Amino acid sequence: MSYSTFNRKQFDSMKEPMFFGENVNVARYDQQKHPIFEKLIEKQLSFFWRPEEVDLSSDRKDFQKLEEHEQHIFLSNLKYQTLLDSVQGRSPNVALLPIVSLPELETWIETWSFSETIHSRSYTHIIRNIVNDPTKIFDDITVNKEITKRADSVSVYYDRLIEMVSLYNTLGLGTHHVPEHGDIEISMRSLKKALYLTVASVNVLEAIRFYVSFACSFAFAERTLMEGNAKIIKLIARDEALHLTGTQHMLNLMASGKDDPEMAIIAQECKEEMRNIFIEAAEQEKDWASYLFKDGSMIGLNAQILGQYVEYITNVRMQAVGLDTAFGTKHNPIPWINAWLVSDNVQVAPQEAEISSYLVGQIDNDLSESDFDDFDL
Amino acid sequence: MTTLTSNKPDKVRDKVHRVLLGKKQILVTEDEPLLVQLEREGIHVEYQCREGYCSSCSIKLLWGHVEYPFEPLAWVQSGYMLACCAIVKSDIEIAFFSD
Repeated sequence: MSYSTFNRKQFDSMKEPMFFGENVNVARYDQQKHPIFEKLIEKQLSFFWRPEEVDLSSDRKDFQKLEEHEQHIFLSNLKYQTLLDSVQGRSPNVALLPIVSLPELETWIETWSFSETIHSRSYTHIIRNIVNDPTKIFDDITVNKEITKRADSVSVYYDRLIEMVSLYNTLGLGTHHVPEHGDIEISMRSLKKALYLTVASVNVLEAIRFYVSFACSFAFAERTLMEGNAKIIKLIARDEALHLTGTQHMLNLMASGKDDPEMAIIAQECKEEMRNIFIEAAEQEKDWASYLFKDGSMIGLNAQILGQYVEYITNVRMQAVGLDTAFGTKHNPIPWINAWLVSDNVQVAPQEAEISSYLVGQIDNDLSESDFDDFDL
Repeated sequence: MTTLTSNKPDKVRDKVHRVLLGKKQILVTEDEPLLVQLEREGIHVEYQCREGYCSSCSIKLLWGHVEYPFEPLAWVQSGYMLACCAIVKSDIEIAFFSD
């Protein structure tokens, strides 16, 4: 079955599953099988922001004053964030668009990926502002072993799904031999399983890995350092909170079987594997914490505290997708992070476009002539 | 009958419910969501967006009834509630997921 950019079949898109049904034809939102995705799109659009809105001039001075090991923490964290958003800015589109079957979900995936590209652009904005030669930092992302290790684990499920879907689209169901990759079995069951595990690993990326990096960014700002950076990360965190809600909805809709009964069976079968994805990611994040703080800690954050936060946030995220918690840490070891994560104080002036409740172009058409009665010229 | 209806809004506003949390008991009104009222009592609840889309403030609702003035965007697990936007409508018992 090959992908069509405009499926000519006539079908009722309200009866299609989220994925692996008919390719979407008409991008219509007058009727929606899962209205939540339309609501997420609207929310995401109301969040629109641009990195250049945030002034970073004092961050440059702050950065130069940081001790060497603190610069290592800051830059490594930024490289990691750059890697995560490089993956997220393209992968939902590449992996999920060829198999999505609902117009509102298709558009949510595109809106979601687009917002990640803003994040990527903001890392360039940050790096340009704090160092003279951004090239050194960006080049290290593909060379540094600690970073590339993370790249493998965040892209492996995406890459497998993409490979399987491209085989499915060109050769159809069956077992196909791919040079250097061996025999790959393509069945609807194996495709759906690869999809479910991909969404689980994306949820881990957005709901755990990103939050660990946010903790590092905000730890500097807690000491009134790198505050411009923290402002940008705050905007990113607001977007990520919405994205993780999106993937939680997908996972829970799949597991409930309300969308596609076969997905419920697969979710049940994959429970252990999904649990392991969460636990492995948490262990990787803890290793990462040791790498960050290898030359010394900073006031308010060290490898141990960050490790506890990893365990805590993993427990929270596992619970949210119906898994039993895996770690002993039951309380947030860095409760100050909430004050940085909270979205409603992202900006103080409503005319500064980021405030989510302030929508540009809101016009009240519901006026009558009597509304101007007390108006004198 | 007319007097009853016109009195209703005030009566609703004055309604006070008990919230049980472990051995603690606090009184809340229907004026505001649960989260702010818990914070005022010095009870720490995790939060991020405070408008129902991030699910950070998800807590267990063991029994009792809450309502959402707007349907939250976050997925609410059965047996859980979002403290940031839920209005308490009866006596309730809550617990944190870690308890």
